Amino acid sequence: MVMDALPSARPLGTGTTPTLQVEGVSKSYGSVQALHGVSFDVPPGQIVGLLGPNGAGKSTAMKAVLGLVRPEGGTIRLFGIDVLTDPPSAKRQIGYVPEAPSLYEFLTGMEYLDFVADMYGLDRAVRRERIAQFLIGLELSGHEDALISGYSQGMRQKVALIAALVHHPRLLVLDEPLNGLDPRSARVTKDLLRNLATHEGVAVLFSTHVLEIAQAICDRVIILHHGTVLASGTVEALQARSGLAGSGLEEVFLTLTGSGDLRDVVQALAR
Amino acid sequence: MDLHRVRRLATVLIASQLRSGRADSNPKSLFGQPVFIALVDVGLFLVAAAAGFAAVSAVRSPSAPPSSGTLLAAVANSVLPFLPLVGVGVVLVAGMMFELTTTTRFALSDAANWLPLGPAEYVAASTAAIAYTYSPAVALALGALFPVAVSVGQTPEFLLAAALSLLALVEGGFLIEMVRSVSQRAGTLAVGRGGRATVVVRAVLLLVVILALQLAFNPVLLYGFVERLRSAALVIAIVPFLWGTQALLELQAGQPAVAAGFALAEAGFAVLLLAIAARLRVRYWVPTSAEIRISSGDIARGHPWLAALGLNAPEAAVVSKDLRGLVRRREMLPALVVPFVLVVLLLVEGRSIGSFALVIWLGWVAGFFSLFLGAISVGQERRALQFLLATPIGPTGLFRAKVAALLIPTALTATVMAVAVGLYFGLGVEVLLGLVLLSLACAALLGLWGLAFAARFSDFQDRPRPQFLRPSAMLAATGSGMAILFSVVVPGAFALVGGGATLPALLVAALVALVFGGLAIFWARSGFVRLFRELPF
Repeated sequence: MVMDALPSARPLGTGTTPTLQVEGVSKSYGSVQALHGVSFDVPPGQIVGLLGPNGAGKSTAMKAVLGLVRPEGGTIRLFGIDVLTDPPSAKRQIGYVPEAPSLYEFLTGMEYLDFVADMYGLDRAVRRERIAQFLIGLELSGHEDALISGYSQGMRQKVALIAALVHHPRLLVLDEPLNGLDPRSARVTKDLLRNLATHEGVAVLFSTHVLEIAQAICDRVIILHHGTVLASGTVEALQARSGLAGSGLEEVFLTLTGSGDLRDVVQALAR
Repeated sequence: MDLHRVRRLATVLIASQLRSGRADSNPKSLFGQPVFIALVDVGLFLVAAAAGFAAVSAVRSPSAPPSSGTLLAAVANSVLPFLPLVGVGVVLVAGMMFELTTTTRFALSDAANWLPLGPAEYVAASTAAIAYTYSPAVALALGALFPVAVSVGQTPEFLLAAALSLLALVEGGFLIEMVRSVSQRAGTLAVGRGGRATVVVRAVLLLVVILALQLAFNPVLLYGFVERLRSAALVIAIVPFLWGTQALLELQAGQPAVAAGFALAEAGFAVLLLAIAARLRVRYWVPTSAEIRISSGDIARGHPWLAALGLNAPEAAVVSKDLRGLVRRREMLPALVVPFVLVVLLLVEGRSIGSFALVIWLGWVAGFFSLFLGAISVGQERRALQFLLATPIGPTGLFRAKVAALLIPTALTATVMAVAVGLYFGLGVEVLLGLVLLSLACAALLGLWGLAFAARFSDFQDRPRPQFLRPSAMLAATGSGMAILFSVVVPGAFALVGGGATLPALLVAALVALVFGGLAIFWARSGFVRLFRELPF
C-alpha cells in the first residue's frame, strides 16, 4: 500500500471552529473585480473543492488566504484568528501549492526541500525522515540530488507537493495540485489528502478543473463564477439544486455556470 | 533560407524585446512596435548630427585658433576607421550582459525549437533582431561623425563606415548566437550527468568566455589597439574583424580598390560567421534539459557560519540559496564579470594612473558591482517570490537575509580587489588598509542603495531575458548611486592619498556614507514591508 510509505500530519485537537473562515472577501485588479463578497469556510477534516471557469477568482481566493493578496473588504480567519494579525504564525500552519509552482531551478530537489524545511523551522532529524518518506512515496527517490532545472513538470509538481506537506500544516491550500502528475502519483496524492483529512483533521482547500477528481475526493464543493460564490455544498446537494440528480459533477457545473449546451460550439470548431 | 520567415521571426523577437519590460502596458502602442527603434535611430542620428554641425561650426569660426581645421581632419582620420569596431563592440559588450541572460528554461521552451525553421533561418532572424535592437548606439555615433566627415571631404569614407558599422552589428549578433548555442549546451547535455564540478566548470567556462569577449571588444582597449596597429598592416590583414577598419584606412589613404577588397572580405567574413553560427546551433543547441547531479546525498548540516553572523535558520536558508544561485544561474554570470572586466582594464591600461585616481577607480568598481547585485537581489526571486512570501519569514527576516546575501560576496570581492590591485601598484601598508576599508564602505553603501531600489521596483516577470529591476529604476539607482558613491570616494581618496586635510576629508566621507547608508536601510526596510503587504504580480 503506497500510503504506508508517506508520513502523516500531526494529530489535531478537536473543536468546532472552522480551520478557515472566509467572510465577504472582495478584491479587484483595476477595473476587474476578481472577488466580490466571497464567503466560505473549511472545517477541520474536510476537503473542500474550489471550482470555477478560468478567471473565476479561484487562485485569487487562495492567494488571499495566504496573505499574498490583500482583500479590499472582508476577513479571513485561521482557527478564528485574522490571518493579518500575525501573518508568519498563520503561514506556519499552511501548506501551499501554487497554480504554477515556480521552484528555484538552480537547487537540487533535496536542497530545495531542505531550504523549505529551514523556512518552516523543521527539526533536522524530523525533516530527514519525512523528506525521505515523501521521496519514496512519490517515486522521486534517486532524483533528489539532481538540479530541478532538469526535472519534468510532474517531478516539479511532486517537489512542490512535498514542500507543502513537509512541515505538518493544519491547512492545505492546493491550486491544481495534480497538474502533470502520473496516474500513480495522482492516486497517492488523492489518497494522502483523504487520509490527512479523515485521520489527522487537516483541512484542505483544493482547486481543480478535473471535475471527476473533485467529485471523487471532495466533501464539499464551492463553485466560483465571476468572482462570486455561485453554489456551494455537497455534490448531491448541487445535483439536486440544478435538477440533475444522478448526473455527474461536470453536467452540474456546466449547467450552473450557464455553459450547458456546447453542441453548437463543437460543431463550429469541427468544421 | 526563406527570407519571409526570417523577417517574421525577427519582427517577433524585436517586439518581444521591446515589450518584455512593459507587461502591463498596451502592446499596440508605438513603444511596443519594432518601428519605434527605427524612429529612435533617426532621432538620435539627427540630434547627434545637429550637435556635430554646431561643433564643426564653432571649430571653423573665424575666432577659432588656426590649428582648429586640422583638428577636424584628425578626428575624421582616427575615429571613422574605428566605427565598425564600435558596432561589434556594442553588440558584444551589451549583448553579453543582456542577451545571454536568457534563462535555460525559456531557451528550452522557445517556440523556435519546434517551429519549422532551419538553423540558419533562426540564427539570421535572431541576429537581425539583436543588431536592430542595438542599432541606436551606431546611429548616435554616425550622427556625430557625419558633419565632421562632410566638413573634411570624407563623405565616401563616411558612407563606407556607415555600411561597415551596420555589417559589424550583424557580425556581433552572429558571435552572440555562437556563444548562446555553446553556452546552452554547457547548460545541458554537454556536461551530461555531471556532479558538483560540472556546475563549477560551467560557471568558470562561461565567465571566461564572457570576460574574454568583453575585453577583446572593449572600446577603451580597442581604441588603443587600433591606434597601435595603424602601421601593423600584416596583423590587420589576418584579423577579420579589423578588415572593415583596414578598408576605411585604405580609402582614407586614396586606395579605393584595396578598400573595396577589404570591405568585400569583411562581408564574406560575415557570411562565414552566419554559416558557423548555424552549424554551432545544429551541433550544440539542445532543446532538452539534462539531469545534472550534485551528489550531496543528504540534507545539509545547517549553516553554522551563517548562524555565527547572527542569522536564524530561515534567514540563513535564504542566504545559502542566494549564494548558490549566484554561481549556478546562467543569467547571474554576466554580473559576476563586471568587477573582473573593470579591474583587468585598470591593470592593462592604467599602469601610469596616479594613486588618487587608483583609489577612486577601486572604490567605484566595488560600489558599482555591489549596487548592481543589490539592485537585482529581490527581482532574481522572480515568480518564486510567491513561495517566499507564503513562508513564515516576514519582511525583517527577508531584509536581513538579502543584506547578508549581498554583503558576503561584495565584501569579499572588494577586499580581494583592493589587496590585489594595491599590491600590484606597490601601495604602502597604511594606504592599502585604508583602500580595503574604503572599498568595503563603498560596497556596503551602494549595495544597500541598490537593495532599497530592489525592494520597491523589482521586476518579477518570468520572461526570457529577466530584468530583475525595472529599467527606469535601474537608471535612477545607477545615477543616484554613482552620485553618492563619488561623494564618498572622492573625499575618501583625498583622505587616503591627498596629502593633507586628512581628517576633514575623512569626516566628510564618513558623514555622507552614514547619512545615505541610513537612508538606504530605512528605505529598503519599508520596501520589504510593502513587498509583504501584497504579491506584486
